[in-house]
Amino acid sequence: MGTVDFASVSKTFDGKTVVQALAEVDLHIAEGEFVALLGPSGCGKSTLLNILAGFERQTSGSVQFDGRAIAKPGPDRGVVFQEASLLPWLTVWDNVVFGPKVQGVARSIYEPKALEILKIVGLEGFKQALPVQLSGGMRQRVGIARVLVMEPRALLMDEPFGALDAQTRLSMQELLLGVWQKLKTTVLFVTHDIDEAILLSDRVCVMSARPGRISRDIPITLPRPRSINDLTNPAFIQFKAAIMAEMRGAHGAH
Amino acid sequence: MTVVDTPPRAAAVQHTIAAASASGREPARATTARWMRLPSQVSSSLLALILPITLIAIWQWSGTNGVVFGGALPTPDRVWTAWVNWAFGTPTFGLNPYVGTWLQNVLFSAERVAKGFLVAIAAGVPLGIAIGWSSLIAKVVDPTIQWLRPVPITAWLPISIAIFGIRDFGAIFLITLGAFYPIVINATQGARAIDKNWIRAAQMMGASQTATLWRVVLPAAMPSIFTGLRIGLGIGWTAVIVAEMIAVKSGLGYVLWDAYYVGRMDIVLADMVSIGLLGYLSDRLIVAISGWLLTWHRLQSFSQ
Repeated sequence: MGTVDFASVSKTFDGKTVVQALAEVDLHIAEGEFVALLGPSGCGKSTLLNILAGFERQTSGSVQFDGRAIAKPGPDRGVVFQEASLLPWLTVWDNVVFGPKVQGVARSIYEPKALEILKIVGLEGFKQALPVQLSGGMRQRVGIARVLVMEPRALLMDEPFGALDAQTRLSMQELLLGVWQKLKTTVLFVTHDIDEAILLSDRVCVMSARPGRISRDIPITLPRPRSINDLTNPAFIQFKAAIMAEMRGAHGAH
Repeated sequence: MTVVDTPPRAAAVQHTIAAASASGREPARATTARWMRLPSQVSSSLLALILPITLIAIWQWSGTNGVVFGGALPTPDRVWTAWVNWAFGTPTFGLNPYVGTWLQNVLFSAERVAKGFLVAIAAGVPLGIAIGWSSLIAKVVDPTIQWLRPVPITAWLPISIAIFGIRDFGAIFLITLGAFYPIVINATQGARAIDKNWIRAAQMMGASQTATLWRVVLPAAMPSIFTGLRIGLGIGWTAVIVAEMIAVKSGLGYVLWDAYYVGRMDIVLADMVSIGLLGYLSDRLIVAISGWLLTWHRLQSFSQ
């Protein structure tokens, strides 16, 4: 479970000037696969994620999750937003259990699970804190925890570490690697950071802009489990060189 | 890392003081901390009092024989005497109908404001949220509200008296009407200015439309709603005085107008000060409630 199928998906935004955000995008993600969408800002990678999340609707083409067309957002596809987008009036704990609570899950079921996940993301001591009292990295840990507690079949992450400093970003990437190693959930990870894309994913889909399309689909064959030490590994550097060449080419062609 | 936890400085000072008294001597640091904290608490109240005291002093000194403006107005000392008599005197038959009736009239007015204000909240908050949330409701209801809003509450007086007569109901109707507009408009604004991703996050986590309204839209609109409540309550006090001057026979507004007719300007002024005081105290109450409910919002505004 957790398969994703985009078949010739296009998306245009109407306005004073019509913007074609996506043009005939095909993308298949297998169960348990970690796929990164890599590209410059404005290439439509977030639009692609938003369509899968059910936040936006494609103009044409078909998008399926587990063989069914996307109708609306739902807890089977957990979204991690760039700025965490926690509910600021709720404590860390209330943010994490928001999903199970509104879905009517029994407290005896979600409580131990939420506690365990808070421990995994290292926030068990901050249950009663408000989001505003946390650092950006801690907020994003809550953003991940509130999604994991719902046990989604896919994780959709929209530049989740883009707003964090380099140090925090590394520790968050390591955290995500560890969590994914255990859960093996399908992940669609949007980023503009080449290192991040290679380090985390099984496949890097390089996108080009105007109109947004997937220009290359590169399997990352680095062995797992990975860690941030792989960032200086020669095989890693080779992937990086190839992707940089691809991205430069995509820009040059424009 | 953590920006705010328990206030560490206050806790540390407390700790030092406790340690000092336990050891039987007062270290210089703790004494300084206490000495420096005291005026900062008192000084803001002192600053707030400078202007009114100055104004009252000027008013007092510009008077001769207890009157200013050639006898049109009494001086503050006379107003004070009138108020003390109005508030604490023993009611008697005869020429002074105001003796000892201050509290009674305050309660009449306060009760009307409270009733009208609560009805305005009950109507204005849900309607405002609905207008902000649904573009259909906005299109149907909002133009009418914006069109009725410029009609001042004083213009509603004849209709109110015609329908409700000289009874409490008319006053409460006017208060409700006056408080309703700012409450509904601010609730609308609050429901409209919500971060799109909060809604998306809630839907992603499986929240229904109703759950999203209750658990996301309403709390997110709260800061704006409280702004509306403060403005609405202020207008409620205006409305109660207007209504009592004309549409009922009790309360501070009635006393104000009645005292004017019989030339008791000392009572008029004491009445005005009382209205201001009640409005101020009720506003402080709303601010206190919002400070308690909206800790998240306060912290956010301070740290950004």
